[in-house]
Amino acid sequence: MGNEASYPKEMCSPFEKGEIKRLSKRFKKLDLDSSGTLSVEELMSLPELQNNPLVKRVIDIFDTDGNGEVDFEEFVTGLSQFSVRGNEEQKLRFAFSIYDLDKDGYISNGELFQVLKMMVGENLKGWQLQQMVDKTIIIMDKDGDGRLSFQEFSALVRGLEIHKKLVVTL
Amino acid sequence: MFLLLPFDSLIVNLLGISLTVLFTLLLVFIIVPAIFGVSFGIRKLYMKTLLKIFAWATLRMERGAKEKNHQLYKPYTNGIIAKDPTSLEEEIKEIRRSGSSKALDNTPEFELSDIFYFCRKGMETIMDDEVTKRFSAEELESWNLLSRTNYNFQYISLRLTVLWGLGVLIRYCFLLPLSVCVLPKPKEFLSKHVHLMCYRICVRALTAIITYHDRKNRPRNGGICVANHTSPIDVIILASDGYYAMVGQVHGGLMGVIQRAMVKACPHVWFERSEVKDRHLVAKRLTEHVQDKSKLPILIFPEGTCINNTSVMMFKKGSFEIGATVYPVAIKYDPQFGDAFWNSSKYGMVTYLLRMMTSWAIVCSVWYLPPMTREKDEDAVQFANRVKSAIARQGGLVDLLWDGGLKREKVKDTFKEEQQKLYSKMIVGNHEDRSRS
Repeated sequence: MGNEASYPKEMCSPFEKGEIKRLSKRFKKLDLDSSGTLSVEELMSLPELQNNPLVKRVIDIFDTDGNGEVDFEEFVTGLSQFSVRGNEEQKLRFAFSIYDLDKDGYISNGELFQVLKMMVGENLKGWQLQQMVDKTIIIMDKDGDGRLSFQEFSALVRGLEIHKKLVVTL
Repeated sequence: MFLLLPFDSLIVNLLGISLTVLFTLLLVFIIVPAIFGVSFGIRKLYMKTLLKIFAWATLRMERGAKEKNHQLYKPYTNGIIAKDPTSLEEEIKEIRRSGSSKALDNTPEFELSDIFYFCRKGMETIMDDEVTKRFSAEELESWNLLSRTNYNFQYISLRLTVLWGLGVLIRYCFLLPLSVCVLPKPKEFLSKHVHLMCYRICVRALTAIITYHDRKNRPRNGGICVANHTSPIDVIILASDGYYAMVGQVHGGLMGVIQRAMVKACPHVWFERSEVKDRHLVAKRLTEHVQDKSKLPILIFPEGTCINNTSVMMFKKGSFEIGATVYPVAIKYDPQFGDAFWNSSKYGMVTYLLRMMTSWAIVCSVWYLPPMTREKDEDAVQFANRVKSAIARQGGLVDLLWDGGLKREKVKDTFKEEQQKLYSKMIVGNHEDRSRS
């Protein structure tokens, strides 16, 4: 798999050496075919992940180069956004990218609808969802372009102490 | 040159004498007691000595680690992260509450921050989850001088290494040949008494030290005995203390040979994998067997696969549908002396047996729990869960709802749909409250 010590310092922080070691063990355990990268299937093989409706979004965010596989560097970078030592800006960006499906820097009406649909499944009708989406955008869209930019998003979410909620202590 | 000759004959003599002594010892201390079911208590003494040595070794390591300022133990023994067990509703309410002072009068039913809960849960699972770690061997807090369990401990001192070396010597040069000599060959077994005798000999071959509790609750004819499954040795342990008919899948290799040999003596029920899927056939054969009161109690492991002895996973309901009396048995191995878990995806049967024979010993406790029957208003699944909880409680194991078959297959979509339903109720519930006011 490669020596963890050879990774650049900037990528390793905010994790310590011991934490990187544990993550590397975890990565190897998840890598069922020992290919050196985690495919979507391998990640989806975790039973507890399968009942999480947003799992595909989270995995997409890990895969920064978009090749469908998560290598160890992407794995650590992805998890570092949830580190207790991560900064607020990082976490807000993460939350924003869950909604921003096409990664264009804006959350459109359609994208918000799709993510909401993932969370509720078939339990609410399309028009109910659309109502909620429209309402949210009207309230939050300050510059009136019909979509949410990162500033508008963080203006609302910033006050929620996100740095405490999006944290996993290693 | 010819001075060596008398030495040669001396050596040969010595060898001859020591071999004879070894065999006599074998006979007296192992085979004869096995036949009569008596014990000399030597193994208990051996166990006590080993424990003292392990405690000393751990102390040495702790001291050594402190000197070098290493971190010896992992901070969280239950996994690599600290988990926060909150439910969907609690967490979302909390997130919304902390932001409500900033929100307008018209609070939307859905909040952008609702995703936080799912994201965090997802992250936690990716880092460490409850299920996959049940399928690999348990990591010990202290080191039991077997290099195979050495995950965190490194070279600390010379004395420790010497002790380890000695341990290797003893295990491979003494225990292993002993076990191989004593192991019975799979020839034609004549009756169930001979069966029992052979199991007892196997137990001694593996230097297994078993403590049976509540033997008055032992399974009787016409009942079903269920137990948690860690390795094929479970069978040997239970069968050396009672007569059972086995139920299981036909294996290839060494297991297959043993299974075929056993069938010639007792009425065991072996299935093909394809037949296992046909539950009615299985149920029919089991019911026929159970109704015949002269037949031996059936031994079943309802988990369907080997789990690493820290938890009990979902029991398959097949054996609980039949309606016979169930005798639950809890088996707990002491991992200090040798890890009995058989990771079938990692080791084959022969490698596994070799590891078992070269461990210090196999120490386990067997509890016979009082018999249970299905109540009128209970269905098979609830009954299975009740039995499972009883076994987990007695053995000090974690009671999990997950299916052991997840080792090889995926979870069904129903779990995800449940989460979605829960979340939708939350959003819609808000809406209804407001429309009423």
